[in-house]
Amino acid sequence: MTEAVIKTRQLTKEFIRDEFHVVALKDVNLTINQGEFVALMGPSGSGKSTLLHLIAAMDRPTSGDILVLNQSLRDLGEREMAHWRNRHIGFIFQSFNLIPVMSALENVELPLKLTNLKKKERIEHAMTALNLVGLGDRVNHLPRQLSGGQEQRVAIARAIVTDPDLILADEPTGNLDAASAQEALTLLEKLNRDYGKTVVMVTHDPHAASFASRVCHLGKGVLLEQEPSLAQ
Amino acid sequence: MKVINYLPLITKNSFRNRRRSLLTIISIAASLCLLGLLLTIYQTFFYSEVTADQALRLITRNRISLANPLPLSYQQRIKQVPGIREVMITQWFGGVYKDARDPANFFARFAVEAEKLFTVNPEIKLPESEQQAFINDRTGCIVGRKTAARHNLKTGDRVILTGDIFPVKMELIVRGIYEGTTDNESLFFHYKYLNESLSAGAGFKDIVATYSIRMDRAEDANTIAKSIDDMFRNSPSQTKTETEQAFQLSFLAFLGNVKLILLTICAAVTFTILLVSGNTMAMAVRERAREVGVLKTLGFTNGIVLWLMVGEAIVISLLGGVIGLLFAGGLCLLLRGLPSAFTFADFSRISVPPSVTIICLLVAGMIGLVSSFIPALSASRRSIVEALKFTD
Ligand SMILES: Nc1ncnc2c1ncn2[C@@H]1O[C@H](COP(=O)(O)OP(=O)(O)OP(=O)(O)O)[C@@H](O)[C@H]1O
Ligand SMILES: [Mg+2]
Repeated sequence: MTEAVIKTRQLTKEFIRDEFHVVALKDVNLTINQGEFVALMGPSGSGKSTLLHLIAAMDRPTSGDILVLNQSLRDLGEREMAHWRNRHIGFIFQSFNLIPVMSALENVELPLKLTNLKKKERIEHAMTALNLVGLGDRVNHLPRQLSGGQEQRVAIARAIVTDPDLILADEPTGNLDAASAQEALTLLEKLNRDYGKTVVMVTHDPHAASFASRVCHLGKGVLLEQEPSLAQ
Repeated sequence: MKVINYLPLITKNSFRNRRRSLLTIISIAASLCLLGLLLTIYQTFFYSEVTADQALRLITRNRISLANPLPLSYQQRIKQVPGIREVMITQWFGGVYKDARDPANFFARFAVEAEKLFTVNPEIKLPESEQQAFINDRTGCIVGRKTAARHNLKTGDRVILTGDIFPVKMELIVRGIYEGTTDNESLFFHYKYLNESLSAGAGFKDIVATYSIRMDRAEDANTIAKSIDDMFRNSPSQTKTETEQAFQLSFLAFLGNVKLILLTICAAVTFTILLVSGNTMAMAVRERAREVGVLKTLGFTNGIVLWLMVGEAIVISLLGGVIGLLFAGGLCLLLRGLPSAFTFADFSRISVPPSVTIICLLVAGMIGLVSSFIPALSASRRSIVEALKFTD
């Protein structure tokens, strides 16, 4: 048996405002093991992003439990959650979300500013990450001087620079052309296969999902079925 | 938290929206230039250093106001008070020299008792021969070096002053050019000559606005002032005696409540920049709502995000402050050229003092802090999911 890195039990998330009440996730029981590459699929509004945010400790569940790396996220305070994200989570957005005034290198270095690493070590780590995504020659470019595909690779470098246990990606290929999407997916696959990172990726694209070792489907906040893990 | 780690992030982000940052910096610079200048003028008026000779002088005037004169008979009675070396009639003459419209023609003119002047104002320096020539010539006058230079006056030249308060025309001859005082701008002539020129019926004869008193010891100022004022407590004209510095300040007050006006303008300026920069800082923070979500996703805590944004605002406003102070310093150089009768204080060495620099930089920093804190706090506390929903 491989070790479970993510384990949710009756995980529920509701958004309540004065006039509306949305159940984004309902009683989700999901286990993801170390080294898996899971694709989360489902129609728009089915709660994929919400689930990913809960796993990333970016948001708190309304009820139910969530255990990530044997840590119950419900028990963490705001600052502890922030440290947790910094240490254990690499998050990739659909729209890259790089800081526009910072160069590729500075963007990648950013999460390391929260660590105890010295400037020189931070730069070394950031360079390693950028080389890994094949952008070692673009370090001083600003985001607007890069193509969409390159921006997303910088964002991937930023997500892996802290050597996190989990890589979470919310529609990482949603804004990319086919070729760039292929590059990004290949990178994620490489991180999963060669570096043993557990990857959870939300996607609408069946081709993207085909890179995963397992596909989970969500519908209206409910986890529908779990296809058996192909890998391992 | 290692602030130094975030400093490049702060400075870089400060100029993210160049146009707005620049406008903010300019408006803060303009306001702080004004604030710095006003505070410098305020300081020059109210806290200028007193020279040893100034500290030894008292001025006695009518308790009611400067416009109410004192009788000449008071001079002998004041002289009786222990600790007083000399009492001199001092009459502000005013009047017009050449053309009243040219500010360069404003300089103070006093009618005094020439033989006592160098006892009461020993800082006035001129050659013994010129001093004697002045004392011996009833129509003589002495002029400060600065004013003499400005009007190209030499000993022997004629100076004609047309009275505005007094209905006379004083035809004077320059007997000496003096230096050694703080401004070296005034003109002194004989009270004797003024008083004789006035006709008995005009109402200006045999009266005086102020007495200048030279004490033996500066420490006696309060006791002597009190003795003098007590002496005339039951007379028809009560007196008010104060140090020369206090008198100069009350002379300013005579012109209106300068202190209050200056401070009110300062407060208004500060408040206005707070409103203006508060608005732009709020805009800057709002623009960054999504980025706050990204930073927090990367592991930045609410606290760090808050201080990053506040830090940016402080960097911008401090920069504005520094630029504003540089301009204020430049304007001080221009003020130095103004004649002192025009400014009512000695501006010849005016410069932005360190205390004003510190105050202005503190105000600038505070403006950055106050204007950004509330929007930054609410942005930093917004949940990540909410923050990421903002589109830029
Ligand atoms: N902050 C929020 N406030 C209110 N409702 C929300 C919020 N976030 C999500 N929801 C609601 O929760 C439900 C699930 O949203 P979620 O973003 O997880 O969907 P999704 O599967 O990621 O959709 P998409 O494929 O369009 O990204 C939706 O009905 C959405 O309207
Ligand atoms: Mg989504």
